Amino acid sequence: MMLRLVAIRLFFGLLTLWAVSVVVFAATQALPGDAALMILGRDATPERVAALRDQLNLNAPVTVQYAQWLHGVVQGDLGTSYSNRSPVTEVLNGPIGASLTLMGLAALVATPIALAVGAFSALRRDRAFDHTTSLGTLVTAAIPEFVVGILLILALGPGGLDVFPSVYSRNGGPEQWVLPVLTLAFAVAPPIVRMMRATMIEVLESEYVQQARLKGLDERTVLTRHALPNAIGPVAQVVALQLAWLAGGVVAVEFLFNFPGIGKVLMDAIENRDVPLVQAVVLLIAGVYILVNLAADVLGLAANPKVRVAR
Amino acid sequence: MPSQPDHTPAPSRRTLLKFSAAGAAVAPVLAACGGSDGNGGGGGGEPRQGGRLSVGVAGGGVNDTLDAHDPTDNVDIARNFALYASLVRYAKDGTIENHLAESLESNEDGTEWTVVLKEGLTFHDGSPVTADSVVFSLRRILDPENPQRGAGDLAGVDADGLTATDERTVTIPCVEPAVTLPEALAEYYNCVVPEGYDPREPIGCGPFKVAEFVAGEYSVFERHEGYHEEGLPYVDELEIVDFPSDDARVNALNSGSVDLISQVPHAQVPIIEADPDLGVMESETGMWLPFTMRVDTAPFDDVRVRQAFRLIVDRQEMIDQALSGYGQVGNDMYARMDPSYPEDLPQREQDIAEAKRLLADAGHGDGLEVELVTSDISAGVVAAAEVFQEQAREAGVTVNLRRVNPGEYWNEEEGFPYPFGQDFWSARNYITQTAQGSVVGAPYNETMWGEHEEWLGHLEEARRTADLDARNELIREAQEIEYEEGGYIVWGFVNLLDAHHVSVHGLEPAVSGHPLGSYAFHTLWKDA
Repeated sequence: MMLRLVAIRLFFGLLTLWAVSVVVFAATQALPGDAALMILGRDATPERVAALRDQLNLNAPVTVQYAQWLHGVVQGDLGTSYSNRSPVTEVLNGPIGASLTLMGLAALVATPIALAVGAFSALRRDRAFDHTTSLGTLVTAAIPEFVVGILLILALGPGGLDVFPSVYSRNGGPEQWVLPVLTLAFAVAPPIVRMMRATMIEVLESEYVQQARLKGLDERTVLTRHALPNAIGPVAQVVALQLAWLAGGVVAVEFLFNFPGIGKVLMDAIENRDVPLVQAVVLLIAGVYILVNLAADVLGLAANPKVRVAR
Repeated sequence: MPSQPDHTPAPSRRTLLKFSAAGAAVAPVLAACGGSDGNGGGGGGEPRQGGRLSVGVAGGGVNDTLDAHDPTDNVDIARNFALYASLVRYAKDGTIENHLAESLESNEDGTEWTVVLKEGLTFHDGSPVTADSVVFSLRRILDPENPQRGAGDLAGVDADGLTATDERTVTIPCVEPAVTLPEALAEYYNCVVPEGYDPREPIGCGPFKVAEFVAGEYSVFERHEGYHEEGLPYVDELEIVDFPSDDARVNALNSGSVDLISQVPHAQVPIIEADPDLGVMESETGMWLPFTMRVDTAPFDDVRVRQAFRLIVDRQEMIDQALSGYGQVGNDMYARMDPSYPEDLPQREQDIAEAKRLLADAGHGDGLEVELVTSDISAGVVAAAEVFQEQAREAGVTVNLRRVNPGEYWNEEEGFPYPFGQDFWSARNYITQTAQGSVVGAPYNETMWGEHEEWLGHLEEARRTADLDARNELIREAQEIEYEEGGYIVWGFVNLLDAHHVSVHGLEPAVSGHPLGSYAFHTLWKDA
């Protein structure tokens, strides 16, 4: 049952990716100028533009260009970057690793803390801790992540307390990861905290938790055996959405900290109308989005005994 | 007949005087960075060999390249200066000096040039730099199948006729007189590479050889032991880091992850100056950010309107507002570093009354409404447009601003060339600049200038005149015509600001408009 569901979802995932690639391709075509013009910039002479267009096969009809690209992708060849002139996979190799590490660290830091804070707020409902958390998450959620980043730099960077470097350097130590990870963590955590709190409150007021308490179980067992497992399902969805957001949200944060990840590559690629590179990065982000959501659904189902046991 | 034997400074230069003045203006900074090129002196003492220098350069991205003949953005240019060397080059004061060449001479009418290489030059792989390398390099640049960036500058060169007459001598025939050939050959992107050059193995004969390169991120270079300038470069290792974001670049300097950075945003200068460990170097340049008026389009087809608009501008105020004061007042003429630049023409000042009179004469006594197309194509451009809008109000001229995306600014679909627009230009000498922007058919003739017969006569004669003094006289006359009637409002020249840690020495301003003294990494050294 579950397997079939996953298979169907994967199929629709691939369909979505294909649709995304069409839309992105159309969007890059709609942008003014082409790769040859953007790459050559002000040094573009008609002769140089013509030569570069020839090299990049930009003179072929748009549909043919897309078909050629798709043909390659189906065979596992993402093509050659227009601006870098080397295979897209080679260009993305380093940045993908760096971005995934950054996102992974942010998720590892943000998720457990957010879950704990949310659950604790629910237990301390309407007390000082709960109100502070509510206000804090509301404010943080309202501020764009790059502003959070700038504030963190001002507070903890060289201009402020000077605890952590505010810019990524190839030769830097592990402390340079702190500010980018914190920035992303602050950006993803608030909805998780709020959802965890709401769900926990709901669960704690439910009849089965009342029942468990009436049975005389100690509060610890009530929480871990009865309350938490029932809260996980809905919260997992939010966690997944937030982690999926990371894949896109990393773009602005990478720019801010000069972090060599896919965000920086994507911005360059768009500027250069580097279609194969834009496609690859967007498909990657969309792919992460789809997979993380799928994982959340599976987790949600697995956490729901009704679904897990029945049928 | 121009002749530039080794070590003889190129022709008389008023720019030298100008440069000295610039030097005086930035003297405290210079003192802080320890005197001139390798002579030691100043506050820094004797140059120290060795060490590693890390530089943050503005810009960079996935399209970064090490291709000798195709650098585009700032970081490419910085790496180009580190890796490669050209036959001649621009000195700090804007004059042309020999680099790989021992001499560069032309025949009577400038249709044939002869270049002789210095002795004992070697590429990074130890192979000798020969006349064949020069021929190969020029042909690679001019390849009709794949013309490189310098192809336009070298358009007059007959690529098939290039001949290596001996190990060190190359004859460069030209299909027409090419008096500006030394200027073209002095451009960094027209540098010399070995035969069979492959950009994936970027071998040159510049002061540093490549060790690591990741597009859009960083590159590492090692000292080229066989570099031809004795004792240079000082540092063993050079790292160039890409910084597209201004804030990240300044933060990197603040936190010590790089030793120096190019292009400090004006707003950050006071912060850096307040730090005793950091210094700012200000360089006067020949870079200009003109307003452009199309001389073939109403209302600017009436010379009185153009003259009135030039009188509307309070130039100092514009520099103060748009460039935070980091600039030099312009006098409606470009090619400020050209030896022919007419320094003696009176400085044009704001004169609203005269502007109103001229506008009234031209039939705009009841006021005039124009659209100014602006774009964030270079720092200060949009601010200048806003200042002009204010200043024009006093003269009864209503200026409506239309802001266009930088990527689309030079797009014909947006309406380029605009009746009234803006642009930015780096420093070029006069004849070379006119080929880019002022003659009919120039790639960026945004003022549609170039049909003025008297002006064209002077220019064409200058282009054929090999004698420098006679040529300069002709250029002066052409300049004067543009000063009176031209379509540009050249209100100012931009000063460039770079910043460095005080442990870095040997930094000296250059007028080229390229940051960090034209990316002169080979002259820099660091305290132990």
